[in-house]
Amino acid sequence: MPRETKHYRNVNENPCNMCMPMGGILPFKGIEDAMVIIHGSQGCSTYMRRHIAEHYNEPIDVGSSSLNEKGTIYGGSQNLFQALDNIRKVYKPRLIGILTSCLAETIGEDVEGIARDYLKQRGLDDFPLVAVSTPGYGGTHSEGYWLAVKKTVVALARPTEKHDGINVIVPNLSPADIREIKRILELMDIKYTLLPDISETLDRPIARPYTKIPPGGTKVEAIRRMPGAAATIQFGITVEENVSPGRYLQSQFGVPLYNLPVPMGVEATDMFVGLLAGLAGGSVPKTLELERGRLLDCMVDSHKYNAQGRGAVFGDPELVYAVVRTCAENGLYPAVVATGSGNTGLEDLLEPVLADCPGEVRFHNETDFAQIRTTCRETGVNIAIGHSDGKYLTEKEGIPLARMGFPIHDRVGGQRLLSVGYTGTTMFLDRITNTLLEYKHKNYRAAMYRKFYRNTGIEERGHTSLMGQAFGSEECPQLIPVLRGELR
Amino acid sequence: MAINEKMIEEILNKYPAKVKRNRKKHIVIRDSARENQEIEANTRTIPGIVTNRGCAFAGCKGVVLGPLKDMVHIVHGPIGCAYYSWLTRRNKAKTDDPKKNFLAYCVSTDMQESDIVFGGEKKLARMIDEVVEIFKPNAITISATCPVGLIGDDIQAVAKAARAKHGLNITAYSCEGYKGVSQSAGHHIANNGLMENIVGEGDWEEPPSKYTINILGEYNIGGDSWEVERVLNEIGYEVQVVMTGNGSYEKLKNAHVAQLNLVQCHRSINYIADMLEKKYGTPWLKVNFIGIRATIESLRNMALYFGDEALIKRTEEVIEKELAEIEPQLEPYKKICSGKTAFCFVGGSRGHHYQGLYEELGITTVLAGYEFAHRDDYEGRDVLPHIKSDADSKNIPDLHVTPDERRYRLKIPVERMEELQKKIPLSNYKGMIKDMMDGSIVVDDLNHYETEEFIRILKPDIFSSGIKDKYIPQKMGIPTKQLHNYDYSGPYAGFRGAINFARDVAMGFATPTWNFIVPPWKDKPLLEGSIEQCSDDTCVEEVGA
Repeated sequence: MPRETKHYRNVNENPCNMCMPMGGILPFKGIEDAMVIIHGSQGCSTYMRRHIAEHYNEPIDVGSSSLNEKGTIYGGSQNLFQALDNIRKVYKPRLIGILTSCLAETIGEDVEGIARDYLKQRGLDDFPLVAVSTPGYGGTHSEGYWLAVKKTVVALARPTEKHDGINVIVPNLSPADIREIKRILELMDIKYTLLPDISETLDRPIARPYTKIPPGGTKVEAIRRMPGAAATIQFGITVEENVSPGRYLQSQFGVPLYNLPVPMGVEATDMFVGLLAGLAGGSVPKTLELERGRLLDCMVDSHKYNAQGRGAVFGDPELVYAVVRTCAENGLYPAVVATGSGNTGLEDLLEPVLADCPGEVRFHNETDFAQIRTTCRETGVNIAIGHSDGKYLTEKEGIPLARMGFPIHDRVGGQRLLSVGYTGTTMFLDRITNTLLEYKHKNYRAAMYRKFYRNTGIEERGHTSLMGQAFGSEECPQLIPVLRGELR
Repeated sequence: MAINEKMIEEILNKYPAKVKRNRKKHIVIRDSARENQEIEANTRTIPGIVTNRGCAFAGCKGVVLGPLKDMVHIVHGPIGCAYYSWLTRRNKAKTDDPKKNFLAYCVSTDMQESDIVFGGEKKLARMIDEVVEIFKPNAITISATCPVGLIGDDIQAVAKAARAKHGLNITAYSCEGYKGVSQSAGHHIANNGLMENIVGEGDWEEPPSKYTINILGEYNIGGDSWEVERVLNEIGYEVQVVMTGNGSYEKLKNAHVAQLNLVQCHRSINYIADMLEKKYGTPWLKVNFIGIRATIESLRNMALYFGDEALIKRTEEVIEKELAEIEPQLEPYKKICSGKTAFCFVGGSRGHHYQGLYEELGITTVLAGYEFAHRDDYEGRDVLPHIKSDADSKNIPDLHVTPDERRYRLKIPVERMEELQKKIPLSNYKGMIKDMMDGSIVVDDLNHYETEEFIRILKPDIFSSGIKDKYIPQKMGIPTKQLHNYDYSGPYAGFRGAINFARDVAMGFATPTWNFIVPPWKDKPLLEGSIEQCSDDTCVEEVGA
């Protein structure tokens, strides 16, 4: 794959990623009775709460040490102490995560040291205070997510007696996806600790009474016992070693690690289910076999439409890998693969997946949407798959967007999008296929007119979109927007 | 249910003692018998309180600068802040020149660790060159995020050099997030910058029409400003520039020619209003285009200011015409809304503005407050001389302007100004508290915990605030209305906007959804039947069996 980075430009125009503490908040929302504080200006917490709330449609509470000018000179430990006191008093959490911001890191706050001092001064030896260093310039939200998960494991995991449960460590998936993974585990009678578990906390049913911290999440006690597990399954094939919680459990406690791709698509779900069957020494339940059959039936039904798709896939590296692999299984080969992250492994990992791809695939690391847009135009992409910011490709280039991943802030239901397991993959593929079909039908009339009636004197009527004018032929829609380059 | 001091005490008892003392000063029960009710505001946020407040950057780039459409707003810093302020406020804009609308663009230096260590000035300078080449904007702003000030990047110098190099208006705003106590600091910084560098840059000396005005503190959320301008244009006003919704550099630079400045959001823009008066002799009028009565009053006050009979007559004609159009539409919604109660907690002015519109729908506001306002927004500008300045407010310098030698002109004679000030809020704002009903509550900087507690006590029928807190009441089964971004609806301003608002609020009450929250098996039996009366003997038998 030709690899292109954005370093020939200094400007980041329409980013494809958020900052590190943003990603760090999410795992703490998946731990039972946990709260999280950002050590920095209160704007960080407020902006991130706003964006996370818009994706999940849930209250998202994130404390702030509300550092101000004084704190930048004398250090912010006093503010952080106060914040911890107040959060403990009002929320009564059983674990608190502390994330740092650009501000705290730039003034050189030793947040782990402050956390230790706090526990000592308040006489709280056993209270789990998980400090994570997440400067906004230190990486994207993807790295922030994994670092927070790892630091949580490091803070809590203690040598424990061996037990027959397994650890399941998940990337930033939707609550619906997590529920599906749990369903599969339960169908196969597996005892497990899934971390972090946002399935109930960030997709909370209407229920009385209302509590400030939503019920659900991984139990602190269960995280402590992760070192005694028979194995760790981590859906983190792209995760770098230094932030890999599964790798930590393996090297420190000898828990065997199975680092798998997100169970999306036939092969990856087979790997997951097969591994579970192997670990449990059991067979695959009939239900899952039926679901697998239905997925294949869906793929057979849809392959002729999908083969017309030229995709642009972007977002978190882990999800990008899973989506590219699933699409490729179905004959929808990507033309553009992009992530805002500086992940080093993704490109190599995709090499075998895309070995049979008939066309050129262009890969962008640490990229922005300005570059993705240009490449989409050059390669004739006709479907974009990724988070909401891809709407820019629709607005400017007319490329339809199938929303997937985080954040989805211009549609509802991001938290309910199901894309994993055999059933989830089926639903994902239907969404992709229908996006292509909608696009095709929307432009069908204009394409037909151009093919058969141009210069006949019969006036063109009905819906004509800019996209329609660009169709070369209705069988193989290749997008060449008429207005390209003229409108910014 | 009415609230009393004791209940508030109980809510606050959950806090540590020091926090309790602090928060107590931010909560007031309205009592009109007391002359001047004081409230503490614009003081430091308590760490860990889970405030809804943002930071100086949010106020500067996010609120005031962001909506200016023909400029590219560069965020100098790591990527997060640029991303989070990317089209998040729904400030709409349209332009005659499609190549000069840059609102859909998020442009950042995306500082990396090496930039933090070695400084980001050179990267910023190179980036400005690129931005000029790529976008060809009419002007550029540069907003700083936290690390910029800490590592000592001199963005003012970079902007100055770029300005000379490109011959473009390029200005820098040192609005690092840690400055001040909330986004309010950022408003002030942006006000100073716009006044110092842009307003008055244009070469117009005379207003383009007889009644030329500026609208200050209107951000065109959901198209509010367009609805207001429609009515103003019909009366015969010419709007020179809206600050800053749908505003542009091209219009802003000639803002000095207006004969009157309207102030919608007092908090975010009163600095410019004040400076325009000092520098060019143009008074400002506090208006409120939210609500029908408030809109009418604002229009009449404007006409009174100009004092032209024809204009006054035209104003009445337009009001009559607009009312005839909307009043029949409003009736069905009023029936649904009548008798309900509301919480109204918004940023720095809407907490006040929306109370009147609620009242017109028959909804009583029982609790209101501001996220980041100052005491004058609550108590009125008369309190200004009594506000103690503290270390935080001193960090944002006041810009001292002097009358412009060439352009200063008293728009109306001093005597007439004094006479008018008795009748209309000319260069004055009386604040929110005076408009509130006895027994209602004013809360500054409301947080999650207090939101929940006040809801439990007051049981409002609708909660109007923003996206961060709207899901709390919704989970508790209470309808909400976002007054920051209008839940993707709007416009809510002016005459037609009031109808939109009434429709949306009524829909919140009337949706059948709420009826399903309690499942039938929780409040009535699934099997219907009756228990037969029996004689004592048989009952004993059955129990024994």
